[in-house]
Amino acid sequence: MYEGPIQDLIDELSRLPGIGPKSAQRLAFHLVKAPPEEAKRLAEAILAAKERISFCVECGNVAEGERCRICRDPGRDPTVLCVVEEPKDAATIEKAGVIKGRYHVLGGAISPLDGIGPEDLRVQELLERVERDHVAEVIIATNPNLEGNATAMYVAGLLKPLGVRVTRLASGLPVGGDLEYADEVTLSQALEGRREM
Amino acid sequence: MRVDWVELRDFRNHRHTELTDLPEGLVLVVGANGEGKTTLLEAIAFLGLLASPRTSVTEPLVRRGAQDAYVRGEVRGVQGRTLVEVHIPMRGAVRAQLDRSPVRRRRDVRRRVRVVFAGPDDLSVVLGEPAIRRAFLDEAIRTLWPLKEGVITAYERVLRQRNRLLKEWEGRGTPPGMEAWDAELASRGATLTRLRAAAAEALAAEAARAFAQVAGYALEVRYAPSVEGEPLEERFLLRLSERREDELARRTTLVGPHRDDLRLVVREFGARSFASHGEAWVAAVCLRLGLATAVEAEVGEAPITLLDDPFSALDPTRRRRLAEGLSRRGQVFVSAADRELVPDGAPAVLAVRAGEVRREGA
Ligand SMILES: [Zn+2]
Repeated sequence: MYEGPIQDLIDELSRLPGIGPKSAQRLAFHLVKAPPEEAKRLAEAILAAKERISFCVECGNVAEGERCRICRDPGRDPTVLCVVEEPKDAATIEKAGVIKGRYHVLGGAISPLDGIGPEDLRVQELLERVERDHVAEVIIATNPNLEGNATAMYVAGLLKPLGVRVTRLASGLPVGGDLEYADEVTLSQALEGRREM
Repeated sequence: MRVDWVELRDFRNHRHTELTDLPEGLVLVVGANGEGKTTLLEAIAFLGLLASPRTSVTEPLVRRGAQDAYVRGEVRGVQGRTLVEVHIPMRGAVRAQLDRSPVRRRRDVRRRVRVVFAGPDDLSVVLGEPAIRRAFLDEAIRTLWPLKEGVITAYERVLRQRNRLLKEWEGRGTPPGMEAWDAELASRGATLTRLRAAAAEALAAEAARAFAQVAGYALEVRYAPSVEGEPLEERFLLRLSERREDELARRTTLVGPHRDDLRLVVREFGARSFASHGEAWVAAVCLRLGLATAVEAEVGEAPITLLDDPFSALDPTRRRRLAEGLSRRGQVFVSAADRELVPDGAPAVLAVRAGEVRREGA
């Protein structure tokens, strides 16, 4: 335990996801020892992101303004939706350039152990979008792990009565893994081999 | 396969023990209780399991007064030589190197060094709760097919998820998302059921044969899964829907491999349960010997077999018959408190006293 500002900084840092008390301490001392400009740049970047970045009202991805770049692009097919857990997953797939349609970010996966139920995800928004935009196909690209599969199954169960084609990215992705670690070739193969749910 | 040499540093009461040129066949480890003979077997088990078969905490493994314990050893087999080095800190995770590269996944070592350990705790596999027999079956899976370990952990996780959902649900009817967890439980549960069935089948015949050789009558080893029949996944879903009301009332999962058992029945003038500790102990050792034989069939060579104090619970006749059954099983380490308990014929004898090992014989 330290006193004053350094402890405040450690406390704030340790509230971030994936940062334990030890890492928080290391980061705090790194920042304090670094030149003042470095700390200032970081603080400004955080504030700027907080002020300028919001979440797209359509897809839930990060956006500058009300709608994200992809939802604003008239060249993107609005009748094909790719459903992902987090914005970072949309970014991974987008980098591979395999989706001609748009995305829908759920904001996580169902996980009772983490207290996350279907009502905590942007599922209702997905159903509304599918009806409003006459979506023809929903490609579910949740992570290929237990929670991602359960989420895919849950979402597919709600979508199928609407008469929309529902597919799941093929395995071949690292099983039990994270979309984040898949490369472009793997992702385009997974899309080619997507299967009906 | 066999351990060629092993070195212990600050491991329990062994300050420094180094054994070289360990032979194939029976290796006898003799010493009074508390002198460190079981510890020697435990250390050899570490080379394959990267864990103790006796305890899940590391603190008692480090010699009093030391901060870290080390076990190193080299195993030779059909895949060549394998060097395993294990660092056991008093607190924190065990770290290991395989051929001088850090080990990231325990199964990578299990694939190279196959170990079967039987000790006095195994009596509870025969006489204890079904959970202990399920743990035995899962250990058999990890030993036979190390790469399938994920099947066990995936099922454990889906079960925890589904139980939490049932436990926290306060509303009426079925909690939202239940069908998704039913489907996951059914698919992962079916995979684990098939794997346990395969493991049980692989070891049952030899366990029964070894038991009959020692006891003179039959042992039946039969896997009793929570869900049976084909197609297995559909049967799972059917059973789940049948038990839906019960599950909602009791707020826990009532169908699945976490309710399996391994039935062990003695057949002597009809079926009966175990009549004595000695008889149950023979069954416990024979289950492990059955596993050792299954491993040999799977990988083409016998595993390193470690039997901690197998003779003391037996009468002289059974003792002799068990000892006879231990030859031609590759390298078998057997510990005993008293030299008199052991039938003759071991090529190597290691006498352990106060954490020091002296070699006798060949
Ligand atoms: Zn958008």
